[in-house]
Amino acid sequence: MHFLNNLMNQNAYSLEAVSKFKFFKKYINFLTTFHYKKSNLYKSYLKGMNYNLKKNQNLSDIPFLPVRLFKEFNFLSIKKKEIFKTLLSSGTTSNGLSKIYIDKNNALNQIKVLQKIFNNLIGNSRLPMLVIDKQASNIDRKSFNASIAAINGFSIFANEIVYLLDHENNINYKILNDFLKRNHKKKFLIFGFTSNIFINLIKNINIKKILIKDFSNAFLVHGGGWKKIEEQKISRTKFNLTLNTKLGIQNIRNYYGLVEQIGSIFFECKCGYFVASNYSEVIIRDENLNVCKKGEKGLVQLLSLLPTSYPGHSILTEDIGEIVNDDNCKCYGSGTRFIIHGRLKNAELRGCSNT
Amino acid sequence: MNEGKNVEYLVGKKAKLDFVLEPFSPKIINFLDDLSKSLDNEFNNKNFPDLRALSFFCRKNNILNLRDKHQNKDSIRFGLGLLFHITPSNIPTNFAYSLIFGLITGNSNVVKVPSKKFDEIKIICKSINYILSKKKHFQIKNMISVIRYYSTDQLLTKNFSAVCDARLIWGGDNTIADLKKFETKAKNIDIPFSDRYSISLINSEKLLKLPDYKIKNVIKNFYNDTYAVDQNACSSPHLILWKGKFITKAKKFFWDHLNNLVQEKYKSPLISTVDNHSKLVAELIQNKNIHSFKKFDKSLYVITLKKICPNLFIEKTKWGFFYECNIENLKNINYVVNRNLQTLTYFGFSKKFIKTFFEKNNFKGIDRIVPIGQALNINLIWDGYDLTKILSREIEIR
Repeated sequence: MHFLNNLMNQNAYSLEAVSKFKFFKKYINFLTTFHYKKSNLYKSYLKGMNYNLKKNQNLSDIPFLPVRLFKEFNFLSIKKKEIFKTLLSSGTTSNGLSKIYIDKNNALNQIKVLQKIFNNLIGNSRLPMLVIDKQASNIDRKSFNASIAAINGFSIFANEIVYLLDHENNINYKILNDFLKRNHKKKFLIFGFTSNIFINLIKNINIKKILIKDFSNAFLVHGGGWKKIEEQKISRTKFNLTLNTKLGIQNIRNYYGLVEQIGSIFFECKCGYFVASNYSEVIIRDENLNVCKKGEKGLVQLLSLLPTSYPGHSILTEDIGEIVNDDNCKCYGSGTRFIIHGRLKNAELRGCSNT
Repeated sequence: MNEGKNVEYLVGKKAKLDFVLEPFSPKIINFLDDLSKSLDNEFNNKNFPDLRALSFFCRKNNILNLRDKHQNKDSIRFGLGLLFHITPSNIPTNFAYSLIFGLITGNSNVVKVPSKKFDEIKIICKSINYILSKKKHFQIKNMISVIRYYSTDQLLTKNFSAVCDARLIWGGDNTIADLKKFETKAKNIDIPFSDRYSISLINSEKLLKLPDYKIKNVIKNFYNDTYAVDQNACSSPHLILWKGKFITKAKKFFWDHLNNLVQEKYKSPLISTVDNHSKLVAELIQNKNIHSFKKFDKSLYVITLKKICPNLFIEKTKWGFFYECNIENLKNINYVVNRNLQTLTYFGFSKKFIKTFFEKNNFKGIDRIVPIGQALNINLIWDGYDLTKILSREIEIR
């Protein structure tokens, strides 16, 4: 998309609140019309809602696709032959997988934007990266699940990648010790899913087996939430503090994003808030789907300027979040700041199904 | 019998479970009447309308009425033997009805209750234990065992399945598929309560002829049929068929007032917002038969269909998500009838008319036709099964 090109020369958080709003509103409306024309399914949705395409709608009036519908429908705003790769969600609770179809152009934009956002955080040079996961075998280059996509996405920032876990998901201390020996004196990256970081670096790791226990130059990036170990969830403070006291890791940043909006992810700032970049916006909605005030908990709606090959520019997630109002936080420009409280709980329905 | 480690006996740990009686045995009728009284004493606070309904069901007069309706005095019948009840996790009193049906038909019973610890289950089991401690009910002591274990503990399910004479499998298609994996005796009878859906039929002329307060009463009954169980019971209606001359006016009154009740009384968790919105969007995307939709509230969505037509597929919905459609010729009900259609609740038609109509049309579905307000009233004939007959055996004597 042409408008993205103009942004690419700037820092990912460059736009001031007023100009961001104007810019964002214009191009989100543009994308709504674009997908209306390109995707029949999306068109049926907007038609059914009697949505007025001619009006330049406010951000809060942009329709939002419920995220679970990516499991039910194949949303495409491109021709089938233009599909470059397919992303599949890891599918935690409900049946089926989300299927996100990406063309070359969309894939390129995802990488560019991820890079801009990441550069803002750790600088422009590539670093050695320790992945708290096992190496995926037999990768199908056409179709990725969300976790492989995330590791691949972040791997472009690395000049060396090693995987901490063996294929039985045990920590390989030789790999760890070799990696630390080579890299502990300069800045290096640790990347993993929040749940994997917790299981391996907080719970399972045996410090006695680490020969050079020096993580002072480590920059740990994690995301993806607690997924299957929701009941073991600990607070952000405790999570970071434990990694600090146990291993001496000081720089820890959580990120938040959907496989439906890869690229325009949200990184935590030093104050612990996720911050929207030039490419993304967040709206919190209450039980009636009305917009919440700052400080009110509700459903998270995510907007992104990146999705062009599928109508995923405005999505209602099943996460609970809240927009924070902290004038003291000056990190990363003026983007919207928010926190995530976790996933929506599956309800205990009354009725006669399930034992 | 081998027992798993994590089994909890709520009633009858040492029950022998090898005793049968004749259906509607006076011993059972007295036992149930005592249970009714005991339940009444347990919940003076009136916090449990479902327990009130249960106690009402167990009264001697009610059971005697059922006996008169169902019993053929000339035949000799006894219970099948041991029944294994697998009861659903989300209606707290369902296990008790299942057990009572087993007792009325003269059987011994192992009842697996849901792992969720409902207060109702505790109260009911406390009452049963109290009554069973009386000498006069000593025989019934050997007919009841109420147990709780996780469905993942398959050894118990396997063992009970191997020895029982019939299984009452509540909980829908998934549970039934699970249970079918376990071997049973050759003569075992499975009574599966599969996933069903239900509809309503309303005569708009008759509705609007009523004074307002009576219309509101019909709507309140409709509310109870649906919202009391999050519209998630098999017998809660999902599709409303409108008949007659004043449909537009009747619909408006109906939905507006239902909306008032929902606003006033109904509470639902946040996930219902996502469920209903997702359902709406999915319908707008794929359903070509939508005339319009209206969102009255987060818990009241109404999709108006263009017409009732062949292959009209209505998926089971919940949290107050309804379809509606006008119907000129009642024979077109056929378009929505299939084996998964359980209950039709109606208003504005006489029982005689309904009876004649359904007698003439050989529909392949619909197992219950009851006035609006009785959708959830469980009985000895349920889901198309006459339990008094299925759960007992008849001795032929010539």
